[in-house]
Amino acid sequence: MRAALLGYVIFAVIILGGWELIARLDLVDPDLLPPFSQVCAILWQFMHDPRFTADLGVTAGEVGVAFLIAAPLAVSSGFLLGERLLLAQTFNPVVHFILAVPQSIFLPVFILAFGIGFLEKVLFGITHAYFVILVNSFAAVRSIPHPLIAVARVFGATPAQIYTRIYLPAMLPLVLTGLRIGMVLCIIGVLLAEMYASRSGIGRRIFGWGESAQIPELLAGIMLVSILTIAVNETMRLAELHVGRFYRRTSIA
Amino acid sequence: MPIIEVTSLAKDFRTGGAVVHALADVSFLVEEGRFVTLVGPSGCGKSTLLQILAGLISATRGEVRIAGEPIRAPMPDKIGMVFQDPTLLPWKTALANVEFPLDLRGIDRATRRKRCSELLKLVGLGEFADNYPHELSGGMRQRVAIARGLAPDPRLMLMDEPFAALDEQTRTRMGHDLLEIWEKTRKTVFFITHSLTEAIYLSETVLVMSARPGRILDTIPIEFPRPRELDLIGTERFGRIRNRIWHLIADTPK
Amino acid sequence: MIRPRTFKTLLILAAAVAAWELIVRLGLISAIILAAPSDIALAAAKDGFVFARALATTLFEIGTAILIAWTLGVGLGILLGSSHAWAAAAAPVLSSLFAIPLIIIYPLLMAWLGIGALSKIVFGVLSGFFPIALNTIDGVRAVEQRYIVFARSVGATPLQTHARIIFPLALPAIVSGLRVGTGLVVIGVVVTEMLASLGGVGFLISYHRTLFDTGHVYFGMLLALLVAVGVNLALTRLDRRVGSWREQEEA
Repeated sequence: MRAALLGYVIFAVIILGGWELIARLDLVDPDLLPPFSQVCAILWQFMHDPRFTADLGVTAGEVGVAFLIAAPLAVSSGFLLGERLLLAQTFNPVVHFILAVPQSIFLPVFILAFGIGFLEKVLFGITHAYFVILVNSFAAVRSIPHPLIAVARVFGATPAQIYTRIYLPAMLPLVLTGLRIGMVLCIIGVLLAEMYASRSGIGRRIFGWGESAQIPELLAGIMLVSILTIAVNETMRLAELHVGRFYRRTSIA
Repeated sequence: MPIIEVTSLAKDFRTGGAVVHALADVSFLVEEGRFVTLVGPSGCGKSTLLQILAGLISATRGEVRIAGEPIRAPMPDKIGMVFQDPTLLPWKTALANVEFPLDLRGIDRATRRKRCSELLKLVGLGEFADNYPHELSGGMRQRVAIARGLAPDPRLMLMDEPFAALDEQTRTRMGHDLLEIWEKTRKTVFFITHSLTEAIYLSETVLVMSARPGRILDTIPIEFPRPRELDLIGTERFGRIRNRIWHLIADTPK
Repeated sequence: MIRPRTFKTLLILAAAVAAWELIVRLGLISAIILAAPSDIALAAAKDGFVFARALATTLFEIGTAILIAWTLGVGLGILLGSSHAWAAAAAPVLSSLFAIPLIIIYPLLMAWLGIGALSKIVFGVLSGFFPIALNTIDGVRAVEQRYIVFARSVGATPLQTHARIIFPLALPAIVSGLRVGTGLVVIGVVVTEMLASLGGVGFLISYHRTLFDTGHVYFGMLLALLVAVGVNLALTRLDRRVGSWREQEEA
């Protein structure tokens, strides 16, 4: 635990501190690598720029909608397949094939089919999140030890009790992990779609800055996206840990 | 010249703030060519002593000499080791495992192969030279480990409870076969165990160690003639020696 | 001559292709969205040579990126994994950084390195590096202490210990990381080619998309998929071979 903290501190000091030093000492062309402090200042300005925050909102909206559609669909499909193994056997090869195939490559098809608006990006995000969450939810259902269910039935537990006291605590950690990875993939998908062909969104902005080599703005944008995605990832990871601990205490298992 | 000379050996471990006295004032001698066992209760410091003898850890006080030289680091040419876990390299065949110490030293293939094939035959695994560890039973893997320990032709073999992980029947058989191997190679063997039966059956001297902090309670000569058959273990004389050692350990205040 | 099971699979594939062709020809799905197999074949026939050259570029970028990513990832992984302190400190940081959508860094590479092969290779290396390094660190750290003790007892030098004991023991984990990482290298290169490039398969896919040459788009995608699947298959086979003695050992 302490080592991890130390790692973050060392990272911050070496990488960020080093960055600042290198830029300030003119070791590198300041046009290529502006100082960290300057980038932070630009980022601060952006957060007060309504056009920038509007684009940020667009991206967040696309990610949010895509995830809110994909997650329940994927979790319920995962549960369904987990319960009905016959269905699972039919769909298993399909799902595994899709997961093995790099989905990002299909972006041009999405654009051909749905144009370059909100819908296309949301759909693209959905496909990225859906399969990972599906596989994890499926695994979650399969991971419940059967002797546990048998014992519960012997003791006269009702289906509702079995579901809440046995299934849920056992499944939750895996499902949450799937949701977290699905969210990260969803963000990647939406950003990629925006960078590739879009009129709005933070991805589009950042790509534009890249094309015109506006490096300070570029770094600011990258930093913001990095901070936000790390924050989302770590928050969901904390939830995973917390729920795991909580349910381990209340479950029969 | 005794091959092992231990004088007033003590070992302390520092964990967090506390100091653990693992060994306190251990002294003994082992003459060359002998089979000596060290027996003691769990946690008494037997393994620590062995690691010091092997040069893997250092002593806090006192002196340890192997073949006249004070030991500070492993002496792979003079000392062969067999651990409780055979620790064979899973991707190598039995023969390749036995050859490994010689391979590290750059000895040519032909010499290695010849010598190590002989060793595998000696431990009764001549036909299994090309098998992989996962294809061998626990007892067989330990035999490979013994052959490997003998590969550099060391003067001293240190064995740290090598049969502890085996089931009782295999363990008894291995003890018997180890004695056969020893008769043929006549190395000095320093064998650690927590089994009194094993300690008495195998050796001609049993060093009895107390509970922690470990020190030598007594040195018991075992005068049964060799070669020793397994039914020696059921005899009355054997039982009396065993009881004597048992009481020695159990009755000593900590 | 042909095994009955293979024949059955081929038959199913042939039927699928035929159905696919029909679906497009009958207008059930627009030819702009889904290219018929015949359209793809036509594109191949017409511009096969152009695509072949692009494929060579892409493969060059992928190959170079793989070499660098493997070397850096495994090398750094072994170094970091060998030290308890560094590993404990580095792994969580690397793991957190892993969440950053790497694609967002590409515009920076574009600005610094242009849109030629170099920016693709660097992006490919970045894509593959993290899983390779993380898995290598895990693999090295998982090597049980008894092997290290054994190494010392037989007088192995630090180099011998690392190369002949630690590395082979960590190999299954390393190869697992290589499998994931290399897949990401391939995707990374192709996607960045799609975003902004002067050549390569990705570039052709994007170019033809803007012209609505769906046949060409799908042909390009097919080539990219073949590379991705091919690489994955090769590494999965390697993974299985290397992992086999490990699994049997634990059995």
